[in-house]
Amino acid sequence: MEPIKIVLVTAFLAILLWAFRHRRRVGLRAGTRLALLALTAFAIVSVIQPSITQAAARSLGVTRGTDLILYVLVVVFALTSAGLYFRCRDIQAQVADLARSMALRDAIVTDGAPGWRE
Amino acid sequence: MPATPAANADTWVVVPTFNEATVVREVLAGLLAQFPNVVAVDDGSGDASSVEIIAAGARLVRHPINLGAGAAMETGLQFALLDPRARYFVTFDADGQHRVEDAVAMVDRLRCGDQDILLGSRFLGTSQGMPRSRRLMLKAARVFETIASGVSLTDAHNGLRAFNRSFAEKVRFRMRDMAHASEMLRLIGSTEARWAEHPVTILYTEYSRGKGQRSINSVNIAVDVWLNHLLEERKR
Repeated sequence: MEPIKIVLVTAFLAILLWAFRHRRRVGLRAGTRLALLALTAFAIVSVIQPSITQAAARSLGVTRGTDLILYVLVVVFALTSAGLYFRCRDIQAQVADLARSMALRDAIVTDGAPGWRE
Repeated sequence: MPATPAANADTWVVVPTFNEATVVREVLAGLLAQFPNVVAVDDGSGDASSVEIIAAGARLVRHPINLGAGAAMETGLQFALLDPRARYFVTFDADGQHRVEDAVAMVDRLRCGDQDILLGSRFLGTSQGMPRSRRLMLKAARVFETIASGVSLTDAHNGLRAFNRSFAEKVRFRMRDMAHASEMLRLIGSTEARWAEHPVTILYTEYSRGKGQRSINSVNIAVDVWLNHLLEERKR
């Protein structure tokens, strides 16, 4: 494995981490949408004119266009999985807050606020 | 040691409970003999834990779904904080591994001393019938926690703790499962709370041994703790 690959993978992970830590930034969300649009455009173009992906692959040092598409797919899949995982965590926290406030309300409605007995 | 529960009217004991129907009533009865304010949080148990809690005479707060031990503790603390007279808070496991007299002694020490939080340590005290594998795992946990939180404890995963109101107000857990012990340490480290360890005795009964988490679960905890640390959102 060439050292450049290690550098690239590390950079990729660092960007992912940075993106998560700043996930509430508007700019980042806009960036995600632009990337999605660009990807869709790329998909449409590669369907209509497959030779373009082949040319793009060659210029990037990848042998075949299909390989390039595979690499892009891996990156998109990793980002999507990470995004879903983070969203899951957020929802889990929200559910916990919701369940907690329900539990506290039920307890107070049933037996009164704490410290009011005796 | 106070002879009547009235002496501890300024204290709330929080007992997170999950599927402990066979022992929880006895544990709560022992606590209520010394502490008038005991809240047991039934964390969505599938058994009769709730019934047993009510039968024991403790306050019951019931999670509609299982949220994990840390979440149950947080719920209990938020409930107890609603009592304006509450000045001290104790967390106590529902499985009968802690001794009530240790909890009483810890609250008394908090009243006299200047610590914000006291953490029970079975290595400063004695442990009855602790399996050797458990001892090794807890030693390893200690090294890990020291690196992660900067707080060096002899016993990082002891459920018996006592702390004052200002610390209780800061307690927020975001990790599921047993990782809340690590979150507690990080909270102590980040808020620069004044802490001390207190020797306690753990009763390793047949029951608590059977309930205890398996050692391999410490791997899950370690990964969770580091991941959570890495992913901590930057507030802006």
